[in-house]
Amino acid sequence: MRPLRALLLLVALLASSPIQAEILVVTSNRSGPIELTRDQAEKLYLGRSTTLSDGTPASLVDLPNGLVRDEFYLKLTGKNPAQIQAYWSRLVFTGRALPPKEARSLIEARQWLTDTPNLIGYLDRSETTTGMRILLRLP
Amino acid sequence: MKPIAAHLLTLSLAGLLTGAHASDAPSPFSLSGFGTVGAVRTDKDNRLFRSSTEQVSGAGTDFDPTVDSVLGVQGSLILGTALDLTIQSVVRKGVADSYAPQLTWGFLRLQATPEIVVRAGRMRTPFFMYSDSLNLNYATPWVRPPVEVYSLNPFADLNGVDALYRTPIGATDLELHVYGGKSSLDIRNGGGKLQAVRGVKAALSISSLTLQAGYARSNLSIHWGDPMFTALNNHLFATGNDAIARDLSGNDSKGTFLSAGFQYDSDRLLMIGEYARRTVDRYTVSAAGWYFTAGYRFNSLTPYMTVARQIQTAPVTSAQSGIAQLDDLLSLFNAMRNKSQSSLALGARWDVARNVAVKTQVERIQPGPGGLGIFANDNFRDVVDPGGPVHVLSISADFVF
Repeated sequence: MRPLRALLLLVALLASSPIQAEILVVTSNRSGPIELTRDQAEKLYLGRSTTLSDGTPASLVDLPNGLVRDEFYLKLTGKNPAQIQAYWSRLVFTGRALPPKEARSLIEARQWLTDTPNLIGYLDRSETTTGMRILLRLP
Repeated sequence: MKPIAAHLLTLSLAGLLTGAHASDAPSPFSLSGFGTVGAVRTDKDNRLFRSSTEQVSGAGTDFDPTVDSVLGVQGSLILGTALDLTIQSVVRKGVADSYAPQLTWGFLRLQATPEIVVRAGRMRTPFFMYSDSLNLNYATPWVRPPVEVYSLNPFADLNGVDALYRTPIGATDLELHVYGGKSSLDIRNGGGKLQAVRGVKAALSISSLTLQAGYARSNLSIHWGDPMFTALNNHLFATGNDAIARDLSGNDSKGTFLSAGFQYDSDRLLMIGEYARRTVDRYTVSAAGWYFTAGYRFNSLTPYMTVARQIQTAPVTSAQSGIAQLDDLLSLFNAMRNKSQSSLALGARWDVARNVAVKTQVERIQPGPGGLGIFANDNFRDVVDPGGPVHVLSISADFVF
């Protein structure tokens, strides 16, 4: 009984501990000269701003629902998954803003962020490719 | 309602076509939606609970799924770097208990400058704090927005233009919203119109706190058509009381809508409060409403309480004909439009999954004075004698997709 309980406890702890990996905000190497501060990134991903500092419209990418997406929003905006869902629902369904484009898979997000110029997205550091440029690090 | 279906179909086809390509770039089309599956009952069969004054039937002592349930679908199409089209359609029990799909949003949006958005088409009348998201229960702690405030404006659609200006002032975000247009509303055997609507709304966000205030003016026409009104109106003209009749219905009233509110939403503590007022010259009552909500998040569970009240500030008409039977009818006519009530609600929101919230709410609603509040009743005479409190139990599940 004891070893089993200890094992269950360990599994529970591992499952509940936040992932510690670094998340990177990236764009394709084919993008123009994009500069992004943490403050700007937060404004963009909260729909409070739709353009970069030089005035060009920004196109954002979201990962499918999952741990990396939750961790990204928590690190950048301080909002948990339920809060961010409610927040964006209000923006979208009141016609205030269009949400970031949600990729259907991690593979699709990587493809977009490698091939399509002028998109901004985020990935776990281990998922970035050589075709991307790092705009911001969220340790 | 055919045009809406056609628009949605067009948008869906556009989505399918663009989605069929290899996914090396995001599609310009997006489709999303929201809804509520809810059931509500009261403890009195002669006090039928409604979620809006446009609904004719309501929930009695059996659980009724028609009062709060709603489904909304929204499609957006990016037309250019600064231009997009949004269409939203909602199905729920509405005016005269009709379930016909309503076109709730249908506008072109232009990002004119980084700070200014201009929209034109079908929008929502943004008179009060949550007026532009009344069907979106997922985004709020409540089962439904407090009726004491939100029944003050039954005109939900705005055909017109608006502009949103958003700018940071230090650590504060300011949003100014100006709008203009018109709105119409079908009522049973009659109708209402708001014309030359013009309004302004300002919101200030400082980290967890948002302050909001709005003011709008409009021309108002209302034509009642129910049998009771028709009888009263005929009597008034027959007895030479044309002046009183002109107070009850016609095309020559003005209205103002005013609201001020706040939202405080920190990690754990949640507080929302709003005061709203409708003032009209004639044809319906002038009234004020307010509510205050406090909630506390225990992880995914958020218990909350709400106190709310609506009071009438002026009846439709205070004129008297001097004919007893006629004045009796007049006071009945006034009372039927008096939605005064006060309520205390206890409830909880449980975020069961990422896109789903389950809620339950118990309310003690005291209708009146001088009317039945949000409740419907077959017996005319009850409106002048609302009696004791009614208890309302609601259970719902809200979702977004």
